[in-house]
Amino acid sequence: MKIFLVILILSAAVFCLSFNLLEKKEYQSLYATSLTEFKQEQNQLRITIEQSNLSDEKDREKIKQQIRNNRIKLKALDFWLRYLEPIAYKKINGPLPVEWETETFEKYEPPYRRQGGGLTLAELSLEEKTVNKDSVLSLIDTSVLALQTFEADSIASQLETHHHFFLANRLYLLNLATIYTTGFECPDTNDIIPELRNMLSSVKNIYSDFNTSFSSFPLSKEYLDVYYKLIKFVNSQPADFTLFDHFSFIKDFLNPLFRLNQQFINKYDVRTISQMDISLENDVYSIFDKKLYNSQNTKGVFSLIEDEKLLAEIKKMGKLLFYDPILSGNNKRSCASCHKPTEYFTDTTMATPFQFDQQQHLSRNAPSLINSVFNHLVMQDGKHIALQGQAKDVIQNPKEMNSTEKELLKKVMSCKEYKDAFRKFARYTPEEKNVSLTHIVSAITFYYADFSYYYSPFDNAMNNAFHLSDAERKGFNLFMSKAQCGTCHFVPQFNGVKPPYTGSEFEIIGVPEDSSYKRLNPDKGRYEINSVKEMMNAFRTGTVRNVMHTKPYMHNGVFQTLDQVIDLYDAGGGVGKKLMVDNQTLSADSLHLSKEEKNNLVAFIHSLNENIIFEVPPAALPVSSDKNLNKRKVGGEY
Amino acid sequence: MKLIITISVLLSSTAVFHQCATQSKVTEYEIPGHVTKENRELFIQKCEKGKVLYKIHCGGCHGIFTKGKDGIPNFTKTQIDSYHAAALIGIDPRNHAVAKKMSSDQIDQIITFLRLRKIDK
Repeated sequence: MKIFLVILILSAAVFCLSFNLLEKKEYQSLYATSLTEFKQEQNQLRITIEQSNLSDEKDREKIKQQIRNNRIKLKALDFWLRYLEPIAYKKINGPLPVEWETETFEKYEPPYRRQGGGLTLAELSLEEKTVNKDSVLSLIDTSVLALQTFEADSIASQLETHHHFFLANRLYLLNLATIYTTGFECPDTNDIIPELRNMLSSVKNIYSDFNTSFSSFPLSKEYLDVYYKLIKFVNSQPADFTLFDHFSFIKDFLNPLFRLNQQFINKYDVRTISQMDISLENDVYSIFDKKLYNSQNTKGVFSLIEDEKLLAEIKKMGKLLFYDPILSGNNKRSCASCHKPTEYFTDTTMATPFQFDQQQHLSRNAPSLINSVFNHLVMQDGKHIALQGQAKDVIQNPKEMNSTEKELLKKVMSCKEYKDAFRKFARYTPEEKNVSLTHIVSAITFYYADFSYYYSPFDNAMNNAFHLSDAERKGFNLFMSKAQCGTCHFVPQFNGVKPPYTGSEFEIIGVPEDSSYKRLNPDKGRYEINSVKEMMNAFRTGTVRNVMHTKPYMHNGVFQTLDQVIDLYDAGGGVGKKLMVDNQTLSADSLHLSKEEKNNLVAFIHSLNENIIFEVPPAALPVSSDKNLNKRKVGGEY
Repeated sequence: MKLIITISVLLSSTAVFHQCATQSKVTEYEIPGHVTKENRELFIQKCEKGKVLYKIHCGGCHGIFTKGKDGIPNFTKTQIDSYHAAALIGIDPRNHAVAKKMSSDQIDQIITFLRLRKIDK
């Protein structure tokens, strides 16, 4: 009898187990089927192109239709592909023919050149006057090859557990909020909302199969309810992306879904094995929380110190140093000279700051330090990977502060207050036992980083019940659609860092030498760092936050007003303004913005002014044993 | 006589020992031949910083000086090419709470140390 019972229990267990395995396959088989369907669609497209005459308008239309079908099938897979292998994804639907990757990995290795391929580029090439069939075919072949990556065991095996799902879902929600409604990878703007609808309903199937296969880690009813409401909302919205309510889409649906998904990540103890999660925080519950992602370590060499009291002392020294011209070769310039704390840590009075000689000017504008902590690459050409590197560079640059480490340390340590403090701090940095420039710049970045964590009315509207005006909301919807701002200034920082927030983007927009547009500004930009033709005149995309207070604009400070900036974009960048710009990354077509639309855009940009609480400068600077140094002025002289 | 021999043996052995100790900084790392003398110095400085950080913050789990903990990788050369290292550090913050707190300079110092240190065969 006992034996029977044991056998019965065992067989029941085996039955349950096999059933479980069988069910798990449901989710995985959806992945496999979707891949197969897309593959068939790709092959069909290839055949259509091969058999067509590209100079015949009808044939081209036929191909375009086929591309559209391909995109729909791709969107059913997007949820997985983008997360599981983003590099291969770019070969299937990349926005640029050549991309220079500047991911977080660049912190360890130089930029990578990546050839794009696939649907977006194929569609764009059909628009050109002379189309070469072989080049279109090769774009598709690249995409066919890239798709095979996703069948590899190393990738597909991730679908065996629940972990990847919630992380892929997080990326999906962030992409919905940032790029899927802006036309980032969709050349025909008429397709944006229809494609979005398709994608939302495909993911609904993914959700349902996931819940069947992984019943111990389900998406809750609350989550699914919000998601169904989201689908309903999008279906009820106009198909024209310029009339689509991007604001409600994010505030009422995506942000709540993001919050719930973050809760799942914590509740189900989700673990990552992917670089895609390198920057994102798990204990943040709004896309508009400034802690959403990490890009800069503001503590530098003090990173491993956690004693709050000690950190406060470091910060206090950082503030004094920020205002102290002792850091410059002639004791007349401080950080505050160009990054004026009273002017949002920039200089609103000059297009570009004075050089050290106080005669000539530098070639680039001094950008605001506020929100600089949200960039992965620092300086307008992305020369540095860390804020501390930027500070060291400026201090030692003969054209800027013109000091040396040795000279600077001698002067700083001649002040008792600094000497006592930094000797103490150095005891907490065992790898750097002697006070060095690294300690000095780390204190400085730790001080000014604090000003990056304030919120704007727009954030308050997204996070809380704060109401935006009609014009502000309309302005945001324009920003995300017709005005094409959101395709480079990504939510939520409105800078060049897009999900999964691991790299900074560079753009070539054709900024003129002066406001008369006689010639292109000759600054080579990113090319100085990465000398490849795609980077000539490219600059890192800055943030739109606080711009009302941070004039003048562009890398060379050429524009005094926001209207001038909008005018450049409205005209189609430098090319639209009849300048010769190679590889402009902005469409040369006019945006056709009306006066009212421009006003709304400006109203929205106003709502990104952060409610920052500024501090008063220190009353006095530490006293030096060198009498000459005690003549120096708080904040410097120029 | 015996005493003299003992003393001289002792003396010479301390001398040898002393020489080893002073040379160890240089011989502790495998720096590629093409690196200039100046840069060798920089590499060694970086490695030394990395070593200090590693001993304090990593060695407890990733034993290369001691046993470490079971199931946590003891970094060998093949495990530590820099791309791989960057990836490893990016892996779950709850497993790598310390690495997540470090500055990119500090991580760079540790990786350089791990890549260049000599491993006894």
